[in-house]
Amino acid sequence: MAQYDFKKITVVPTGNDLIDIVLSRTQRQTPTVIHKGNAISRVRQFYMRKVKFTETNFTDKLSKTIEDFPRVEDIHPFYGDLLHVLYNKDHYKLALGQLNTARNLIKRIREDYVKLLKYGDSLYRCKSLKRAALGRMCTVTKRIGPSLAYLEHVRQHMARLPSINTGAPTILICGCPNVGKSSFLNKITRADVEVQPYAFTTKSLFVGHTDYKYLRYQVIDTPGLLDRPLEDRNIIEMCSVTALVNLHAAILFFLDLSGSCGYSISQQAALFHSIKMMFRNNPVLIVCNKTDLQTLEGLSGEDLKLVMEMKSAALKTIPVSTITDEGVMAVKNAACQRLLDQRSERKMKSKKMPTVLNRFHVAMPKPRDQKERPVCIPQAVLEARAEEAAHEERKTEKDIENENGGAGVYSASLRKHYILADDDWKLDILPEFLDGHNVYDFIDPDILQRVEELEREESAVEEDGGDFEIEDEDFTAEAEKDLQEIRKRKKLLIQKHRIKKSTAESRPTVPRKFDKDRKFTTERMGRQLSSLGIDPSRAIERARSRSVSRKKLRLRSRSMSRSRSVLSQRPLGEVVPGEGFKDSAQKMKAVTMARNATKKRNKDARRGEADRVIPTLRPKHLFSGKRSIGKTDRR
Amino acid sequence: MRLEFCWFCSSKIYPGHGIQFVRNDAKIFRFCRSKCHKNFKMKRNPRKVKWTKAYRRLHGKDMTKDSTFELERKRNRPERYDRNVMENTLKAIKKIDKIRHDRAADHIAQRWKPKAAKERREARKELEQSISLIKAPLAIQSQEPAITVPKIKVKAPKQQTVEDQLMEE
Repeated sequence: MAQYDFKKITVVPTGNDLIDIVLSRTQRQTPTVIHKGNAISRVRQFYMRKVKFTETNFTDKLSKTIEDFPRVEDIHPFYGDLLHVLYNKDHYKLALGQLNTARNLIKRIREDYVKLLKYGDSLYRCKSLKRAALGRMCTVTKRIGPSLAYLEHVRQHMARLPSINTGAPTILICGCPNVGKSSFLNKITRADVEVQPYAFTTKSLFVGHTDYKYLRYQVIDTPGLLDRPLEDRNIIEMCSVTALVNLHAAILFFLDLSGSCGYSISQQAALFHSIKMMFRNNPVLIVCNKTDLQTLEGLSGEDLKLVMEMKSAALKTIPVSTITDEGVMAVKNAACQRLLDQRSERKMKSKKMPTVLNRFHVAMPKPRDQKERPVCIPQAVLEARAEEAAHEERKTEKDIENENGGAGVYSASLRKHYILADDDWKLDILPEFLDGHNVYDFIDPDILQRVEELEREESAVEEDGGDFEIEDEDFTAEAEKDLQEIRKRKKLLIQKHRIKKSTAESRPTVPRKFDKDRKFTTERMGRQLSSLGIDPSRAIERARSRSVSRKKLRLRSRSMSRSRSVLSQRPLGEVVPGEGFKDSAQKMKAVTMARNATKKRNKDARRGEADRVIPTLRPKHLFSGKRSIGKTDRR
Repeated sequence: MRLEFCWFCSSKIYPGHGIQFVRNDAKIFRFCRSKCHKNFKMKRNPRKVKWTKAYRRLHGKDMTKDSTFELERKRNRPERYDRNVMENTLKAIKKIDKIRHDRAADHIAQRWKPKAAKERREARKELEQSISLIKAPLAIQSQEPAITVPKIKVKAPKQQTVEDQLMEE
């Protein structure tokens, strides 16, 4: 007895969608290029291929749909009836039939046009034939559009039908609306059906599963039934009727004792009697629900009589209250048990049973004599058992944990069971580091001894007085001072030299004798000499006597007739014989020219004609940067 | 908890610091900070990197062999706790530490000693040679006739006389 899977039906495209799909497929999957210059056979082949391809696609898709949808006759009558109730069998069959016709038509079209294409004489004719063929196929598909839409609708609804296994043991819940069927289902199974105070909350069948004695039972909840003739029933009621009629199940007829569902007991009894026909061989239990509102004993005489009447037709009557859970399990167990018994009975009655029964035989050994042979347990085992029982009272760690706040709060003290020389030490705090050392690396029972040895060593070394070094005599205070002076002087010299070196290029090297800064005076010399510790007076005297001005005076006084000194001043324009000027004017001109030239050079801070030093070869401000307007190809 | 040593610089790694790297051959490398870690990744040899302890020990800058090191050993077998032993150990650690520290300082002082002597010699020489910068030899001679300052001969440039200048013309 298979479980039907309506979810596997492929999606049914609408008419237009189907056309789009097939035509775009044709366009993509067949060659697209053909010229009228090609051989005619090739042209024909090209277009025939397209027509055939389109036809195959259409037929494939339609066939798939036709095959996927179940045939009403072939499936279990329950589903057949259900389909009929929900979708109208005739309409359903008609739709599928239309699809079938369409498929045949398309086939026919393809055959005709392929025959025509075989004799097409030009590209244009072949093309037109292909167009006509495809066009006709599309028209056919368009005509079955409404059927396709209907079938898609049906498919979507079918996929959502509850999956009821027609072969499994089933319990069916039925009764008037609002008596408590869905709440009962919620109680027994894990189903979560909507329970509301208004009637017809449940609009279709709902399935739940429950277990009993290692067997799985299906529990089906139905929409409420009203007491009316079959023809007048609406679709929702027809669902439950279908289930009642077609399924072999234990039927639980729910009775509302209090009448809070809106129907009195007499109405419910009337319903029961009208449905009685449908029960056939199925075991029936009457479930008197809502006993918390109204008990069975508290019923009035008439009602009680009606209930008794119903009871006679049924197996059992069980009072139940789904709110207080009273009797719910009893009902379930009773129903399941009854079903189980039926199953076993059927199995026993079947033809296979004797063959199975013949296979085994329960052997009961006959007693040899009347001697009693009771169970024998050795004494030691009995004693051990007794001891164990006594031991059970000790307090475990788990108990302590639970006392002190549970798992997350209390952490067991593992130190309690330490084996130490002295029990006081159990709770000692053990330092792990001390002064940047691991304490564990130093632990040694005789560590103190060794430390003592060490200390002895140290003191011995100290007494020795360390290394005996040859002490040089230290410098006297004077010598220290001198040394410092020397160092200072040296530093100054180095500094001066460095300055001189760094400015050498930009500074003109004026020989000392010209003494531009007037540094080299006798006073200075005198100071320096006295700082060195020498009496300068004699040196100053000597320097002064040999100075140039004195020399000049001496020379002059010696001989005036001798040739003039080079250093005597002449008037500027005076023509000197060795120079090469013809007259005074020329010399003046030469002097002026020289002066003008030097003027420009002085302005450029050049030392002379030969000074071509460029301090910065590529000054950044001339070689980089953007112009606000204009180009920078020339700099 | 254990104080480990950085593989690169040999400094102590306190809990919560540094990175441990486990190589495929299961050798563990511990680093105290990313500087050491990055140096390791660059495959630098700590024995060649000046600021590491490995270099210093190798080149004799720091003390290597000493009896105080033997007292600190990594023990693999745990000892049963004894409070007295623990007390003694804690006291001992302090003492050992002090001794080790002193000895290391001695070692470094020893290293520096020759330099002092050398400096003194050089200063003495400098004093002798460059005394002329601050005191003229004559002055020294007059003050301390015992000392003979070496005579420094300086070649004086020849003075150009007037006659020579005229001759040039």
